[in-house]
Amino acid sequence: MGPYRLQRFPSAAPGIALLARLGAIVLALLISALVLALTGAKPGALALQVVTASFGSQFGLEDLGLLVTPLIFTGLSVALALKIGAWNIGAEGQFYAGAFAASAVGLFLPVAEPLSLFLMLLAGLVGGALWILIPTLARAYAEVNELITTLLMNFVAVLGVYYVSTGPWRAKGANSTTARIPAEIPEFFGSLHWGLPAAVLLALLLALALARSRFGYEVRLAGSNPQAALYAGLPARRRLIAVMLAAGALAGLGGMVEVAGTVHRLQGGLSNSYGYLGIMVAVLARGSLVGVVFSAALMAFILNAGIILQTQGLTTSTVLAVTGLILFLTAIGDELAHYRLVRDARA
Amino acid sequence: MPESPDAMMSPIPRFMPLPGTPPLVEMKGIAKYFPGVVANEDVDLTVMPGEIHALLGENGAGKSTLMNILTGIYQPDKGEMLIDGYAKSLASPLQAIAAGIGMVHQHFKLVQAFTVAENIHLGWAETPIGASAPVLEARTEVLARRFNLETRPSARVSELSTGEQQRVEILKVLARKARILILDEPTAVLTPAEARALFAALRAFVAEGHAVIFISHKLEEVLEISDRITVLRGGRKVATQDAADCTVKGLARMMVGRDIVLADMRARPQGAGPLAAMPVLALDKASTDGSGGAVALKDVTLAVRPGEILGIAGVAGNGQRELSQVLTGMRPLSGGQLLIDGQAVAKADARAFAKAGIGHIPEDRLKSGLAPALSVAANAVLREYDKPPVSARGMFSPRAALALARSIAEAAAVAIPDFAMPVRNLSGGNQQRLVARREMRIASRLLVAAYPSRGLDVGAINTMLRYIVELRDAGAAIILISEELEELLNLSDRIAVLHEGEVMGVLDNDHIDIERIGLMMGGQRQADIKAAV
Repeated sequence: MGPYRLQRFPSAAPGIALLARLGAIVLALLISALVLALTGAKPGALALQVVTASFGSQFGLEDLGLLVTPLIFTGLSVALALKIGAWNIGAEGQFYAGAFAASAVGLFLPVAEPLSLFLMLLAGLVGGALWILIPTLARAYAEVNELITTLLMNFVAVLGVYYVSTGPWRAKGANSTTARIPAEIPEFFGSLHWGLPAAVLLALLLALALARSRFGYEVRLAGSNPQAALYAGLPARRRLIAVMLAAGALAGLGGMVEVAGTVHRLQGGLSNSYGYLGIMVAVLARGSLVGVVFSAALMAFILNAGIILQTQGLTTSTVLAVTGLILFLTAIGDELAHYRLVRDARA
Repeated sequence: MPESPDAMMSPIPRFMPLPGTPPLVEMKGIAKYFPGVVANEDVDLTVMPGEIHALLGENGAGKSTLMNILTGIYQPDKGEMLIDGYAKSLASPLQAIAAGIGMVHQHFKLVQAFTVAENIHLGWAETPIGASAPVLEARTEVLARRFNLETRPSARVSELSTGEQQRVEILKVLARKARILILDEPTAVLTPAEARALFAALRAFVAEGHAVIFISHKLEEVLEISDRITVLRGGRKVATQDAADCTVKGLARMMVGRDIVLADMRARPQGAGPLAAMPVLALDKASTDGSGGAVALKDVTLAVRPGEILGIAGVAGNGQRELSQVLTGMRPLSGGQLLIDGQAVAKADARAFAKAGIGHIPEDRLKSGLAPALSVAANAVLREYDKPPVSARGMFSPRAALALARSIAEAAAVAIPDFAMPVRNLSGGNQQRLVARREMRIASRLLVAAYPSRGLDVGAINTMLRYIVELRDAGAAIILISEELEELLNLSDRIAVLHEGEVMGVLDNDHIDIERIGLMMGGQRQADIKAAV
């Protein structure tokens, strides 16, 4: 046995944890590059193209920003629910429900633009919250697993939006979208609108609110150990309901921002699986609401890279494979970060 | 003719190893370091075939670390291990099991939803592939008979009493051909009769040339069961002695490095007023439904007055958990009344009870008294997070929380390197002290203490009992739930005996007859005993 050996420590040092994460991402990209090279592509050239296309032009940065925005909302939605120990697999459905409600207001309520935007925002919040209401009550009062109920609600929302956008709400001359919604979130950088700064600010405010409020303490306690919440006599059920509804509202807000800022129409396929990717964003952020911003940015870069690769004749499955690989290697990296090399005193 | 306890202990002949037989286990110069902590240093331990070897030490003395090394969970930083005289390094628990070393942990590691037979066969190479439940149960039956450990193979573990669960754990280890059985505080959860049965089984086990390492805090019990005793203190070995040469006092001194007196603590301080007539809290024919097949409470009538310690005796699992939950507002009544200061309380509301000055040291601190993954600071403020200075107008102040956590840790005499670290990183004893101090701060009227000394060493038990006496002297009422009769007799003014959720009687603690308490713990009513005498 050598003079050094690995020892597992109960907690990972933050520096090592960060390093392990970066290492995992780099390794995932390297493996992807290797596989691409084996299929005959030129990974070096592709990588260069992805980087220049993403960061080398205003268009690239705009695209990236437009992808980050919904991911922050859905990531926050999942991460917030996790704070109280609930898995919100339904951010996708809540995103659609919020977009649907906001579109209804935007299309059919003829009021001035600022008021219309404000009402759309409220509609988005309420739509998302309503979409998680049944799973929330079922979990709070009958201990029905929210993982399954929130997931099932997704299909209803997705198909519902497909139906209205290809049926009753379809615009004249269009195949599968509604008419353009008159109210728009103002832009500040090309096509990039204020939804992005708002999302980042929201993440910071939520993190601050949870750390610095009595409500936040109760949420952390109830999420960490329901038995202790019972012991302390805090209103755990009320907190669960509030947090889950807020999580739904966040995803719904993401849907509103998407239609009012980016797409301007309600259509099927509005969400680029943002709701499901939000789960990954939240998991990568390791329960940190501020971390959601960064993991959303990473996820957006990967999505963007996928779009660029598609123009080079690669399938979208490549992107799925890369994201899966990153999540997988990150999980390994997180575990490895607990190990440190220690001098073997026996030698 | 009734059997006397002594007659049950001795008849098994002792195993005498042949001269020159190597020790079953020999640990030499073992050291183990954790960041900032010397868990073990220069520890020697020799266990001979046929021996019951007790390992004694305070919380944090290094017993667990040493046993984790022996069972392959940790690797030592220094020192060597010999099994049967051959040097061996145990890189994993599997290798330790292969070497014949098995451990029964204090907190059982059984799958609650599985049957006894399934638990026995879980993760065992000898489990027949594709075996049906009847086959596994038959195999378990055979094993149970061979090792003389009575179990119900088809019962789910969640339905078993703690004593039965422990037998399953031991059977699981013995089935894997363990020759060295390590038991971590095995009697903490047993009735006296169950403990006697366990001791008999251990004697039979070592009579075949095997060995037992017995970790315990109960000094009398250690003297009774073991052949030799090794005492650890601060991670180092203090001494190894023949049990025959030891006394309780001597062992206690070795453990803590000072003399300990466990004595009558009922004496009230000079000038303390007489007990008030009005009880702080009373139960009047209180009943409650149990959870998961547990014993419910039935027509319990009790009252406790300020400055009084009411002891609750009984074998664990006879409604103590439900009683403590009812008393602290965690569980609603299904019948009868609960009165605080003579006023009937309609709703069970733990927060309202805490606000009314009722503190609670729960029986399972890690499961219900703490949020293990949250920081020490977050856990320390659990009772006072919603009032100034920690919270004001809905805002939570981490700085005020830290200050409060510091003062609680200081009062508990627990050194905490980092208040942001998860509370589960603290030792069990330190967790208990923190919970006790946290609860004492709010227990101005009543403290419900369930098994406050469970899992603690002599020094920590004394500190804990001193806390309780301190609180009583300050005028609070105490309800002390315990399975240690000695502790109850030392502290309580009155003792109520619980059996299957019913109060068998309440005895004044003057010239109390232990035999009578024993009979009541076994289910006889006070009135019936009187009638028989």
